[in-house]
Amino acid sequence: MSKIAVILLTSASVMVPVLAQQSAQEHPDSDPQVRFAPLHVYIDPGSRPLAAFQFELKTTAGQIEIVGVEGGEHKAFKEAPYYDPAALAQNRIIIAAFNTGSELPKKRTRIATIHLQIIGDIEPEYELKLTVAADSDGEEIPAEISYEEGE
Amino acid sequence: MKKKALIVTIILGLALIASVGYLFVGCSYMVGSSPQETTSATVPMSETEDPDEDAVSDTSAYGPENVSLQTRDGSEIVAGKPTPSVVWHAASKVESESAPEKPRIATDRAPVPGDKPVVGGLFEEKSGYDRAVKYDWKGKLAPGLSMIRQPSVPSQPVTAGEELGRKAFGSRPVPAELIHVSADEIWVIARSEAQAVPARAGEEAPGCGAMLAKLPTEDKEIPLPLKHTDVKGQISGYIATVDVTQKFHNPYDEKIEAVYAFPLPQNAAINEFIMTIGERRIRGIIREREEAEEIYQQARRQGHVASLLTQERPNIFTQKVANIEPGKAIDVNIKYFNTLAYVDGWYEFVFPMVVGPRFNPPGTTDGVGAVARGKAGISGQKTEVQYLKPGERSGHDISLAVDIDAGVAIERVVCSSHVITNSSATPEKRSVKLSGLDSIPNKDFVLRYKVAGETIKSALVTHRDKRGGFFTLMLYPPENLSHLKRAPMEMIFVLDCSGSMSGKPIAKAKQAITRALRKLQPNDTFQVIRFSNNASQFGPDPVPATRDNIRNAIRYVENLHGSGGTMMIEGIKAALDFAHDPKRFRMVSFMTDGYIGNEVEILAAVHERLGASRIFSFGVGTSVNRYLLDRMAKLGKGAVAYIGLEDNAAEVVDLFYERISHPALTDVAVDWGDLEVTDVFPSRIPDLFVGRPVILTGRFNGQGSTAVRITGSIGDLTQEIAIPVDLDPSSPACRTATHPGIACVWARKRIETLANQATYDADPDLSGQIKQVALEYGLMSAYTAFVAVDSSRKTAGDHGVTVAVPVPMPEGVRYDTTVQN
Repeated sequence: MSKIAVILLTSASVMVPVLAQQSAQEHPDSDPQVRFAPLHVYIDPGSRPLAAFQFELKTTAGQIEIVGVEGGEHKAFKEAPYYDPAALAQNRIIIAAFNTGSELPKKRTRIATIHLQIIGDIEPEYELKLTVAADSDGEEIPAEISYEEGE
Repeated sequence: MKKKALIVTIILGLALIASVGYLFVGCSYMVGSSPQETTSATVPMSETEDPDEDAVSDTSAYGPENVSLQTRDGSEIVAGKPTPSVVWHAASKVESESAPEKPRIATDRAPVPGDKPVVGGLFEEKSGYDRAVKYDWKGKLAPGLSMIRQPSVPSQPVTAGEELGRKAFGSRPVPAELIHVSADEIWVIARSEAQAVPARAGEEAPGCGAMLAKLPTEDKEIPLPLKHTDVKGQISGYIATVDVTQKFHNPYDEKIEAVYAFPLPQNAAINEFIMTIGERRIRGIIREREEAEEIYQQARRQGHVASLLTQERPNIFTQKVANIEPGKAIDVNIKYFNTLAYVDGWYEFVFPMVVGPRFNPPGTTDGVGAVARGKAGISGQKTEVQYLKPGERSGHDISLAVDIDAGVAIERVVCSSHVITNSSATPEKRSVKLSGLDSIPNKDFVLRYKVAGETIKSALVTHRDKRGGFFTLMLYPPENLSHLKRAPMEMIFVLDCSGSMSGKPIAKAKQAITRALRKLQPNDTFQVIRFSNNASQFGPDPVPATRDNIRNAIRYVENLHGSGGTMMIEGIKAALDFAHDPKRFRMVSFMTDGYIGNEVEILAAVHERLGASRIFSFGVGTSVNRYLLDRMAKLGKGAVAYIGLEDNAAEVVDLFYERISHPALTDVAVDWGDLEVTDVFPSRIPDLFVGRPVILTGRFNGQGSTAVRITGSIGDLTQEIAIPVDLDPSSPACRTATHPGIACVWARKRIETLANQATYDADPDLSGQIKQVALEYGLMSAYTAFVAVDSSRKTAGDHGVTVAVPVPMPEGVRYDTTVQN
């Protein structure tokens, strides 16, 4: 009987991985290592009208891929901002936008949403650097940049 | 007994494991593929963007038109500004779905055992005398276009440094150097000309609104996922900036993935991709193709709305949009630059609307298959286009508007293919719109306009950004070429006699060859070659152009007919694989629609066998494979001409003879003076023929003034052209024009050059170089793709069902002989 048990266990040990692999090949849907999530970027221009900005985002931990760039909540920055393709690396992106209109945000506002693919179990950590923010006269303003992780 | 028990136990054990495994796999499969419940609409059903007219909304440093904002500390913000006439906020209103019951989806699927063998699309050809050869068609057709003759304006001598006139229009000046500048080094002899016939008053407007198509197993007519395409072009000088918005929607009661194969101009430099969901606009990211495909598939599987744009051929693209929920709409916006062709005062803007069916030689798998609607997978080709049957129409229609800012007065505007309306605010500007009466996307939109003035001059256009300097230099041949007569020629006519050419196309081609034969001169020799499944020819060798030989050749041509496959490689071999007569200038004229799927093989053969020959390709039909024909002409150092089905082929041939009736300026070389110039395309400057401009595109370093000198030979004579250049923008003498699209145009040229090289060069690094350029400049290529994912929300259920967007057959093409069914 012990022989039978050995044979059964051997068969199972051979078959199950094969079937599991087959299943995984056909239905790789539920890969727990990959998920998608947004990262909302805010600028507080400190009551000055925000007409232009440029910032750089990169990760210091975890692995991400940028899969989309969306505009902000204020009408002035609703259009999807541009990114620098030459500077686009796996964990880094440089984004800039401007608006020459008169209706500009003066309070903290979401200026972009970065859509991310997050790979692996390590929770990513981000470094966000505001290169410059300026008003409609092209003068630099002392703004603050921050981000919030979306679900 | 023990043995028996052991065997039984093993069998039972294996059966049990197999059952568990089957259940596991089977259940997973069902979960993965079963239709899911529809979800509540959280994405707005309509988009009502209300653009602030005063506010110029964001663009960037890396966009097409850059501006700089200087900050107090001297740092610089660079941001683009939007193209003025382009409407970006494409409202995607979803019509109210009043019908309570929605149709089911005709699912695309691969063939399974038990499916009937392919029957449709088989045709038979009598090859030789009695041998019947069957070929399995995977694409083909025959167009019906018209054509435009190009009024012949004699080329003028290049006057060094002259400016054609800089004029300001409104707030945006058009640099003079962008006027009268051709875009590509491909020499276009002729184009389709006939004006489309306007619909009669009261006539039902085809394509207006949603024409409906029946899906298989449906007894109701319903629209398909692609509802509308909106095209907005803005032409400044010789560069067009084009926005294409594809409006997808889901008319079904299940979630879908829409897949659409569509054409764009082969020289389109696609550098923007935006997915719009309701009022939210998500800019797509350029990635290596495999990476983008993987991201898209993962997002699709996880239920995120996502879109992916890939390039199948330089002029064929595939758009995928995943997880479109029932009743919802998603827009995809693509933006590209492309350069216009120019000949004798006429510019040409082309927007292709449908991919023509291609013939794929036996054994090919990476071709472009042409299959009937709902028959995905039956062609065995990597890319497939599904076609509507005759009498069917999809709900997909097209609107198109082009604003031309020529910089000089526009004398005439002609649309060779469609009904248009046009208006002009000033003599230099023209707004052209496609009539609502002509909105079925089943043929190329071909718009031509003639600008005032007869003097065309060489010109330099530049652009600088943080990547360095870029330029295009247009060269025109010297006028004195037109006073010299040509040398004796060896003319080889190659006629495509395949099935797709049957009927009008082959009749046009025969008309053209007959005319060409009659125009030969006594010192010339000639040969006529036909090909379909194989190739044969008029005589064993080229024969002198005597009256008797010409008469016999015309009789030979008259007896040719169209049937069989398009084994163009046989025609190439027959035309180029024989000894060249050194006393004569050999010209090989191909008459074909170019409906093949193995373009790379053909182009490689042309490059390998060309020798001293020059190739002149004549595209016959309404939606010909311009990529192939242009590339053949370019690799063959010749020219291309397009003959529509309503055109007078004889007139096109006359133009051809006019062009070749003078010697070319050969061995052209450029001395760039004090400029540090690199990466110039084409690397080998083609011969300069009368009426044919050549465009050089490259990178430069340096400022200040210098002179560019071009030298070439006409027989024993040397000709020199000098072009003064001033690249100091602060200098009042600086008259060099700039255009922000030049960098993309250069990058696209580099990609094209590397891709052409890859057709004959096995260097494995070429694909890496293409990838690198495409990623650096954010451009679409065979190795890069745009992907956009909405990560902020997951739709309910699985990824839904894939629905391909079937397209109408190009006008003049037979469905029954070209589409697999």
